[in-house]
Amino acid sequence: MRTAGSSAKPEGENTMRLKLHYLSSVAALALSFCCLAAPAQAARIRVVTTLTDLADFTREVGGDLVEVRSLATGVEDTHGVPMKPSFVPLLNRADLVVLVGLDCEHAFLPALLEASKNPRIQKGKPGYVDCSQGIVPRDVPKSTDHYQGDVHAQGNPHYTLDPVLAKTAVKNIYDALVAVDPGHKDAYTRNRAAYLARLDAKIAQWKNEARVLKGVKFVSYHEHWPYFAARFGMNYFGTIELKPGIDPTPRHIEQLTRDMIDQHVAVVVREPQFPEKVPKLIARQTGARLVTLPIMPGALPHTETYIKMMDYIVQSLVAASQGK
Amino acid sequence: MKLILCMGIALLCCTAAPARAEDLAERLNRLEQAVERQSHIIEEQQKTIEQLKAGQPRRDAGEHAASGGEAAKGEELKQQVDELNDKVEQVVEAQKKELPSAFNPAIGFVGETIFGYRSKGKAETGSDRPGGFDVFQRSVEMTAAASIDPFAKGYVVVNGSADPVTGELALGVEEAALQTTSLPGNLELKGGRFFGEFGKLGYIHDHELPFVNRPLALAQYIGGEARTDGLQLNWLVPVEHYVSLTVGAGNQFGGDNPPNDVGDFRHASGVNYWSRLSSYFELTPDVSFEPGISGLWNPKTNVQGSTVGGAQSFTTSGSNTFNERERRLYGADLVLSYKPLRNNQFESVVWGNEVLYSDNRYDLTDTLSGTPAGSSTVGSIGLYSYLTWKFHRQWSTGLQYEFVENQLNKHDKTNAYSANVTWALSHWNQFRLQYTYTDPNAASGRSADNAVYLQWNWIIGSHAHGWQQR
Repeated sequence: MRTAGSSAKPEGENTMRLKLHYLSSVAALALSFCCLAAPAQAARIRVVTTLTDLADFTREVGGDLVEVRSLATGVEDTHGVPMKPSFVPLLNRADLVVLVGLDCEHAFLPALLEASKNPRIQKGKPGYVDCSQGIVPRDVPKSTDHYQGDVHAQGNPHYTLDPVLAKTAVKNIYDALVAVDPGHKDAYTRNRAAYLARLDAKIAQWKNEARVLKGVKFVSYHEHWPYFAARFGMNYFGTIELKPGIDPTPRHIEQLTRDMIDQHVAVVVREPQFPEKVPKLIARQTGARLVTLPIMPGALPHTETYIKMMDYIVQSLVAASQGK
Repeated sequence: MKLILCMGIALLCCTAAPARAEDLAERLNRLEQAVERQSHIIEEQQKTIEQLKAGQPRRDAGEHAASGGEAAKGEELKQQVDELNDKVEQVVEAQKKELPSAFNPAIGFVGETIFGYRSKGKAETGSDRPGGFDVFQRSVEMTAAASIDPFAKGYVVVNGSADPVTGELALGVEEAALQTTSLPGNLELKGGRFFGEFGKLGYIHDHELPFVNRPLALAQYIGGEARTDGLQLNWLVPVEHYVSLTVGAGNQFGGDNPPNDVGDFRHASGVNYWSRLSSYFELTPDVSFEPGISGLWNPKTNVQGSTVGGAQSFTTSGSNTFNERERRLYGADLVLSYKPLRNNQFESVVWGNEVLYSDNRYDLTDTLSGTPAGSSTVGSIGLYSYLTWKFHRQWSTGLQYEFVENQLNKHDKTNAYSANVTWALSHWNQFRLQYTYTDPNAASGRSADNAVYLQWNWIIGSHAHGWQQR
């Protein structure tokens, strides 16, 4: 109904208004969908870790704010996680890739990162979280000549088996999460503090339990244990592998066995991804105790988390050193 | 000091006046002693203050000896700190050195030597190698790779191989390409000379194949490694499942295929086009299969109306000459793998299969008169199927069956059977002993033969674990 003073709108203008109305409605609808969808997407940071210990740390620090997937399940060799194409879509959508570093993942991660086509997580980008930042590596080779086997040019990468150094990895993960999601810094800080408190308490407990390990000599299949040995005062006598990544020769086994008998080496450590035959033989010939130890959470039953794994390692070694 | 003494005595006199004389004397005596002690203490303290002021701590003779030792230790410590500082400075200075090699790419070499024996001569086998005993350096490859800038990486593979006839070294650029690293939309572009993505083993270098020789079907239909000068775009399809799509266009396609005769002017129809779609399915964490399909098409291989160059021509037993007009090749591949996660470096079973269908179109020319005699299509099939079993970190064994029809004459058929044992002392040093029985049919005009090969591969320098070699 027209009122006095009102003027009739031209037909074209009405049509235009109608169109604008529809457009604005559609835009509003789209915007509201975006608003609904955006928090759901932004709510969880997508993190892919190479190994399961890093996944455990990330879950502890990130809590419900992160969605964590590990490429390894725990049973693999840390250097030999298979390059599955199913990892590629995971990495393609990841906000962060968390790795051990020191070339630990050189056999599978560089090619996977290239295949992922995700610029956010390439080396040098903020999404590339190298947990070895701040670690002083052990056993840095003087030469990278392959005469020394499959050496890691930057030093031994198995530092997470030292629970004190594992805290550095936790810190690096925390820093990366805060950098990518600063809005939840308080939550990450709380989670980290709670986890480190638990870890510190366990470290004190492990140190106490491991007093009997001081000076205990042991060999392992691969060079996984220099950081652990240094932390708990054990004497790392040698490896069953001839060189890193090189299977033992009969001569090497013979020499190692002779030296172990001479030096009263008490324990043979076998990592579960390596065959049992040779470690068992050496243990039998030398009278040492054979113990199978995980190097990643999930490698054995009752080792699903890092703390459970370290519990298992310390208790198993204590038992083995006492001849149990 | 005297003033203090007098004041003390006066005070004593004032306070002790009522006391008896002997008590007074005794008290006076004690007071004198006390005052003397106080005076002595005060003197000592004053000396200490003076010594401290002069920066010389008070010590007795024994303490002097001890302090001498401490001073020596301090000197030693200071010297150590100075030496440490020197070393740190040297290290820092060393970092500033100008190293001509600082920007060198990662460089590695791969060598491959073949020791062989074939029961028939090359006239009967159709091989470019002689029959009987044979030793040749199949290749020495130098690979160099590095980032070009934040947006691309580059790599070069230079291959040196022995000429099969003269034995002389022939050097060639096998690959020299750049590859983008930061394109949006899950895209990756590769350009230059490279191995185009066709089939499963087509773009794998010889020394990385599961058997000594390239499968006959690939050798014949592709012409060896899938080398091309061109451009290739790969797209990782943005879904939760792994799906990869590749398309490319290039000059020639295949190591032994020279480019088509480009002539004076070439249209887009004179170029090779290829594509590949592949995926991956996990049946269990240990068992998976990877299917893929590929296609290669050159719409006009005789674009200049000439048979010179890559377009193949041949004369049949009849009176017609076949001039290749259009090249089509289709492929389907499937790899089924069992790789137990726990000890995948010690145990695995891989069953790889690929079927190729070559659908070439030919123009016929009457050989005698040179007049057109219609056209013909030759559809031929080639396939291979292999099974490899890794039963130790150093040891694996495999069986392979091959079948191929000649792409120019489908009645020319060959079957081949191989068995091998591989001993890898390390990642960089590998021996492979293989027996192959090749059985061409009568239409081929060739003879069956037995062959034994010992292949020795080695790697020095940098080596990368590539995605395609997984």
